[in-house]
Amino acid sequence: MKRIPLFPWILIFLGFLYFFLPLIGTLDFSLRLVKDQITLEAYKNVVTSARFQNTFTYSFIMALWTIVAATLLVTPTVYWVHLKLPHLRPIVEFITLLTYVVPAIILVFGLIRIYSRPPLSLLESEIGSDFLLVMGYVSLALPAMYRSVDAGLRAIDVRTLTEAAQSLGAGWRTILLDVIFPNLRVALLSGAFVTFAMVIGEFTIATFLARPAFGPYMANLGQTRPYESTALTIISLALTWACIGMMQLLGRGAQGQIAGTR
Amino acid sequence: MAFLELTNISKVFGQTPAVQDFNLQVEKGEFVSFLGPSGCGKTTTLRMIAGFELPTTGTVVVNGNDVTNKPPQKRNTGMVFQAYALFPNMNVAENIGFGLKIARKPKDEIKKRVEEVLAIIKMESFGNRYPYQLSGGQQQRVALARALAIQPQVLLLDEPLSALDAKIRVSLRQEIRAIQQKLGITTVYVTHDQEEALSLSDRVVVMNNSKIEQVGTPFEIYNFPKTEFTAQFVGTLNSIPATVRHAANGELTVDSQTLVTAQKLAGIADGEAVMISIRPERISFASEGRKPNVLNIKVENITFLGSIVRVQVRAGEHLFLMDTFNNPFLKLPEVGDKVEITFSKEAVLVLRHASQI
Ligand SMILES: Nc1ncnc2c1ncn2[C@@H]1O[C@H](COP(=O)(O)OP(=O)(O)O)[C@@H](O)[C@H]1O
Ligand SMILES: [Mg+2]
Repeated sequence: MKRIPLFPWILIFLGFLYFFLPLIGTLDFSLRLVKDQITLEAYKNVVTSARFQNTFTYSFIMALWTIVAATLLVTPTVYWVHLKLPHLRPIVEFITLLTYVVPAIILVFGLIRIYSRPPLSLLESEIGSDFLLVMGYVSLALPAMYRSVDAGLRAIDVRTLTEAAQSLGAGWRTILLDVIFPNLRVALLSGAFVTFAMVIGEFTIATFLARPAFGPYMANLGQTRPYESTALTIISLALTWACIGMMQLLGRGAQGQIAGTR
Repeated sequence: MAFLELTNISKVFGQTPAVQDFNLQVEKGEFVSFLGPSGCGKTTTLRMIAGFELPTTGTVVVNGNDVTNKPPQKRNTGMVFQAYALFPNMNVAENIGFGLKIARKPKDEIKKRVEEVLAIIKMESFGNRYPYQLSGGQQQRVALARALAIQPQVLLLDEPLSALDAKIRVSLRQEIRAIQQKLGITTVYVTHDQEEALSLSDRVVVMNNSKIEQVGTPFEIYNFPKTEFTAQFVGTLNSIPATVRHAANGELTVDSQTLVTAQKLAGIADGEAVMISIRPERISFASEGRKPNVLNIKVENITFLGSIVRVQVRAGEHLFLMDTFNNPFLKLPEVGDKVEITFSKEAVLVLRHASQI
């Protein structure tokens, strides 16, 4: 009989405890709004509150704008780099990674210092502030979007497909819209889900731009309503996991397609 | 005036010349191959015809129009790539109709044309399949159909069969030639495979080191190579060092035995060292009938290759090959035997370098 290696299993078990005990604790706590009873009351309170609905809707819409803006910025750029400037790829990748080096707090102060005064004075109007928020989020979304688009482009033969389309009479617009984007659908969606999860929970930029976003609302709730805030934590975790699950699902679909290419 | 004219084309990438002094005229409906080893500039030349590269010097004229500076999407050339390059997000019919859709042809006309070309490649029932549901050979046929659908002025193919396995390569090669002849479409075909070039083309352009070595019909290229490179690259070839004995009579010596060539040796002095080439299939054993040239050799090695038998022989210090057709009554010498071989005067080609032509 084969000996079951004990040590790795102990490590896995400890890791499991480390990650899941707090979660289970949080879940348990969120269900105990009413004394001596398991109840979904806290969840009901959260979901029915107007502030939850307003901030969630707001962040949802901001997330969509962020995804649109990031897609339009990243896809043509990375496509062009792949096609014409492959030697610049490390530099572009480095730029997208700056987000990890520059903390959000520095980013938001930079944004405020530059864009809150004339000639732009973006913070004086709602729409200007929203615009600035989305732009901040776009820079936070860059690493994820870049990575998925880059991987997506690497999976297809960009250059030959482009040339095939060109020889058939296609201009740049047609090539991007009819050939490149459709083949990046899966890559873009997976980038979009990461971005979505990131925007929904984002706190720093939204707070300092004074936007009515979901992240600040969660933080605020945590200070005043302990049961509801843990319920909210569970809800947002579930959302994030749903996003990741969708990505996995899409990724698997894409692999089937690529593997089928001979 | 020829249909496709390449005049004084050259292309330099940074410091390295990829194509130099390229001049070629292709008639309407002609099938021309670029044949040469990897890196000799075949693809670059093809890409300049397609418009993907701008020539450093020279002009490309198609059907009387100078297209040298036209972008590829305005040239109406059909292009087939080694990697198929079908659009993965479109099915076969959409791939084939892509160029027509861009040209804003009406829907029913597109549909009709797609069906026509599907019939040409004998894949009528495959319109709804996606590229990943097709074999490599089928994908390449669809790529060909897609290029033909727009009724291009010139069809360009860059090693279209290299990624396929041997059997399909031969059948698809014949299919390409049949379609080309039926449609009468002017075609330029790039390959490093001499068999492909010889079997497909009206004319072959042999390239080496960014330059044209020789342009000619497959018959001329194979039987009358003008340069050592062409002779070596096309077919199996014996290159044997020889000395000119008497240029006026075409007499040479190999291993102090005398040979005669039918070739005029104008401009070569007596006593000069040259290379001669003899195709293996033109040499036979003297026991089967004597020809003007007879050499004493020693048999070094005998290999059966199915329909032919390849014999390696030695004359002095020179090793070379001879091929004879296999038949059950063939009386072969043994390895180590000393026998006579024979060949005609015409079989002996004296090669010069490209610069001497
Ligand atoms: N885009 C390019 N940049 C730099 N050098 C190139 C480029 N394309 C081709 N070359 C060089 O030009 C020469 C000819 O290449 P190519 O036309 O592709 O040869 P072939 O198709 O005959 O194999 C090669 O030495 C190759 O390295
Ligand atoms: Mg090539």
